Amino acid sequence: MTVFHILAYASLLVLGAGVIARILRLASMPLHLRWELYPVPHERGRAGYGGSRLEEVNWWTKSHRADHVTELRTMLMEILLLKGVWEHNRPLWLSTFTLHFGLYLLIGEAALLVLGGLLILTGGALPQALGAVILALAWAGYLMGLAGSVLMLGRRLFDPKLRAFNSSGHLFNLLLLGAIHATGLLWIAGDPLYISRLTGFLAGLAAPAGPFNLPMLGYWHVGLVLFFFVYFPFTHMTHAFVKYFTYHNVRWEDEPNLPGSRLQEKIVRLESQAPTWAAPHIGADGKKTWVDIVTKTGEEKS
Amino acid sequence: MSPTTRKEPRRIKDMSLPSEQVAHVEPQDLVPLPPPYDKLEEQPRFKPLSDDSRAKLEASLDDTLCIGCPKPASKEEEERLIQAFISGLHKLFTKENNWTFLQPLTLSMEHCARCQTCVDDCPVYEESGKNEVYRPTYRSEILRRLYFKYVKPGLPGFQTFQNGGIELNWTLISRLLELSYRCTLCRRCAQSCPIGVDNGLITHEIRKLFSSEMGLTAKDLHEKGTVQQLAVGSSTGMIPVVVKDNIEFIDEDMTDRTGIKVETKWDVEGAEVLLLHNAGEILAWPDNPGCFALLLDAAGISWTMSSDLVGYDGVNYGLFYDDVQLARIAYRHFEIAKKLKVKKIVMGECGHESKALGVIADRVFQGIPRETAMTLMADIVFSGRIKFDPSRNDFPVTLHDPCNLARAMGVIEPQRKVLRYLAPRFREMHPHGVRNYCCGGGSGFAIMSQFNFQDWRLQINGRRKFRQILEAFQDTDLTSNDPKYVCAPCSNCKGQIRDLFDYYGAKEKSGLHYGGLVELVVNAMVDLKEPFINWEIM
Repeated sequence: MTVFHILAYASLLVLGAGVIARILRLASMPLHLRWELYPVPHERGRAGYGGSRLEEVNWWTKSHRADHVTELRTMLMEILLLKGVWEHNRPLWLSTFTLHFGLYLLIGEAALLVLGGLLILTGGALPQALGAVILALAWAGYLMGLAGSVLMLGRRLFDPKLRAFNSSGHLFNLLLLGAIHATGLLWIAGDPLYISRLTGFLAGLAAPAGPFNLPMLGYWHVGLVLFFFVYFPFTHMTHAFVKYFTYHNVRWEDEPNLPGSRLQEKIVRLESQAPTWAAPHIGADGKKTWVDIVTKTGEEKS
Repeated sequence: MSPTTRKEPRRIKDMSLPSEQVAHVEPQDLVPLPPPYDKLEEQPRFKPLSDDSRAKLEASLDDTLCIGCPKPASKEEEERLIQAFISGLHKLFTKENNWTFLQPLTLSMEHCARCQTCVDDCPVYEESGKNEVYRPTYRSEILRRLYFKYVKPGLPGFQTFQNGGIELNWTLISRLLELSYRCTLCRRCAQSCPIGVDNGLITHEIRKLFSSEMGLTAKDLHEKGTVQQLAVGSSTGMIPVVVKDNIEFIDEDMTDRTGIKVETKWDVEGAEVLLLHNAGEILAWPDNPGCFALLLDAAGISWTMSSDLVGYDGVNYGLFYDDVQLARIAYRHFEIAKKLKVKKIVMGECGHESKALGVIADRVFQGIPRETAMTLMADIVFSGRIKFDPSRNDFPVTLHDPCNLARAMGVIEPQRKVLRYLAPRFREMHPHGVRNYCCGGGSGFAIMSQFNFQDWRLQINGRRKFRQILEAFQDTDLTSNDPKYVCAPCSNCKGQIRDLFDYYGAKEKSGLHYGGLVELVVNAMVDLKEPFINWEIM
C-alpha cells in the first residue's frame, strides 16, 4: 500500500462521512410549519396551473392521491436540464448546463469504471462496447465540464449581476472543477491506456497490490478529484443532493395535519420545548413551554 | 445627501460602512407606466424624509423609513443592541426557539449558489430600475455571511473564503432591519430558484429575529396589529359591541339596497360555517361582509359569525414577523370555532388570513377544518341554488391573484370559474395565477404609511401591479372613466389597490374601480331587482 492509497481512502472516507453527516443533520431537523410553494407537481390534474386540493369545497373529506409520475418528470427536467435556470435566467443557462451536464456524464463514466474494475477483479475483462461508452462519456464529460467551468468563471468575473456576490470560494470552486476537467482531457487525449489505467486504479484501491500505474497527468487528475472529494461536503455545492430536502421537505411538502395524522404527535413534542427569546412580548423565561407561552399569555398590551 | 451610484453593483460588505444613505432611486430610474400615466412630470412626487427623522432615526438605507428605529443614545446602548442581535442570531438556529422554520432556513442559508436566477422575478428590484439593494438576494446574503461568521464558523478563515466576510456593527444591523421591510414576502423569487432557496423566508426570519429577540418591528404590525388584536379583539381596534353595531348597520343598508332581508347571525352553536372576515372589511369595505351574509342566506347555508374577542377578525399579522404572535391569534380562532362546535371555518376574502389559518397554523394546532371563501363561493354559484344573470356584470373585469391564495395555497381556479361564468368581459392579467405579481401591499405593507413609506410602496412596490392592471385594460379607453373592475379577493390587496388608484388618480382618469369577488356574485343575482354595484359610491 502506498501513500496515494492512504490519501485515496482518506478522501473517500471524508466524502462519505461528510455527505452522510449533512444528510443526517438535515433529516433530523424538526418538523416545520407548512411552507409549500405552488405549483406542487404531485397535485394530480392541477399541477399544470399550480392548483391544489385546497380548491375543493370540504377538501378534507376527499381522497387525495399524489401524482408521482408528474413529480418525477418535473424532477428529471430540473436535474438533467436545469429547467429553472432556463426559464428564469436564460443568459446563465448555457454555462451552468454545460458544467452540470459534463459532471453528470463523468459520474456516469465513474459508475461504469467501477463496473469495469469489478469485472477485472473477478478475473474478467472489460467488454469492448463498455470501453467505448466509457471513452465517449469521458471525452464528452471533460469537454463539457471544462467549457462549462470556463464559461461560468467568465460569467462570475465579468457579469455585474453575479460579480458583487462572488467570494474567493466561488472562483476557486470553478478553477478546481476546470483543472479536474482539463487534466482529465489532457490525459485521455494523450494516453491510449486511459481506461485500463483507471480501471486498474479502481481495482488497486479495492485490492492493494503495489503502486498505481498512472502517468503524471493521471496522478494530477486523480489527485485533484480526491481533493475535491474532501472539499465538496463543506461547500454549497452540496446542493447537488440537498435539493432533495429543499424540494421534498419544503417546497412540495403539503401534508395536512388532519385528525389521526402522524404529525400531531411530533407537533406536541416540539411545542413542549422552552424558548428563550428575550423580547418582552414573548414572555419566555427558558422554563415556560412554547405552547404555554402561546395559549396562556399575550393578551396584555405591550 | 450624497447617494452612491445607483446601478453600480454594491459589495455586500459595504453595508457595514458608515455613509449618509446607501441606496437612492430617481423617478427616471423607475420602469415607465403606460399611457396615460407615462408623463413623469404628472406623477406624484416622492416626499423626502424630514431632517428631524434623519437626525433622530436610523435612516441610512434608502429614501424612506418603515421601522424608524431610534439611533442609540450612547455607545453602551449600541453595544447592547449588537449583543442582542448576535444572541438572536444564535437563537434563530436553535430548535427550541425556531423549530417552526429551522430546517427550511438552514437549507436556504447553506446552499445558495449565488447564481442570481431569482433576481429578475422580484418586482421591487425590477421596478426600482434594478437598484442593487433591493435584490431579493441582498439581505439574504448579509444574513448568510453573519450566519457563517457567528453561528457556524468552522475552521478559521474557511467560511470567509467560501462565503465572503462582513463586519457586524450597528450600521449594518440597523440597515438590515429596514431592509427586511423592503420585501413583501411574495416568494416569487423562491419559485424561480432552481435549488429551492427561499429569500422570502430569509426575510421573514430576519424580521422574526428582530421582533422576538430585540422587540424591534413595525408598529402597525405589532402594537397596532397583533397586540391590539389580542387585547381588544381586532387590529382595527373594534371591540365586540362596536363590531355588532357596525354589522347591524351593514345589514340594514344591504336590506334597503337589495330589498332582501339581510341579518347576520352571531354565535350560533353547531352552525355549518363560522365565517371569519378580515375585520378591515367591516370598516373599509362594508359591502363585502354584507354580500357574504346575503349570499350564504340565499344559498341556504347555516352560518354564523363570532362576537368573542379575536373571533370576528381573521387578521393575523404574526404571519409576517413573529411566530409566537401568529400562533397566539390562530389558537384563539381555533378555540372559538371549537366552542361554537361549527363544522368548518370559512376564511373571508383575505389572502394572509387564509394562509395563516388555513395552512401555516395547521402545524400549530389541530382543529376545525378550514377552507377559503373562493371554494365555497364557487360551490354556491355552480350548485344551482341561486339564479344568476351574468349580463349584469357586463363591464371589463380583471382578477388580481393574492400571493397567499395563489402561490402559497394553490387556490387558483375557483375564483376564475366564477368570473368566467359571471363576468362576460373577464380578462386575465399577465402573468397570473401562481406566477402573479404581488399588489405591493404584501407582508403588511398595505396598512403602513408612516414617514414617507406610502410613496415607496406605491411608486416602487406597487408599480408592477398598477402596470399590470393598466395593461389588462389596454383594449378599453383608459382616458375615459367608463367603469372597469379589478377583482381583488383579499383585504390587504384591496387596501393597496385603493391607495394605488387614489395616488395616481386612476378612478377619475381611467374609471378604474376595485372590489372583491362576492360583490360581483351578488351583483349578478336575479333575485336582486337592481344591480348591486353602484359605481358612484365605489
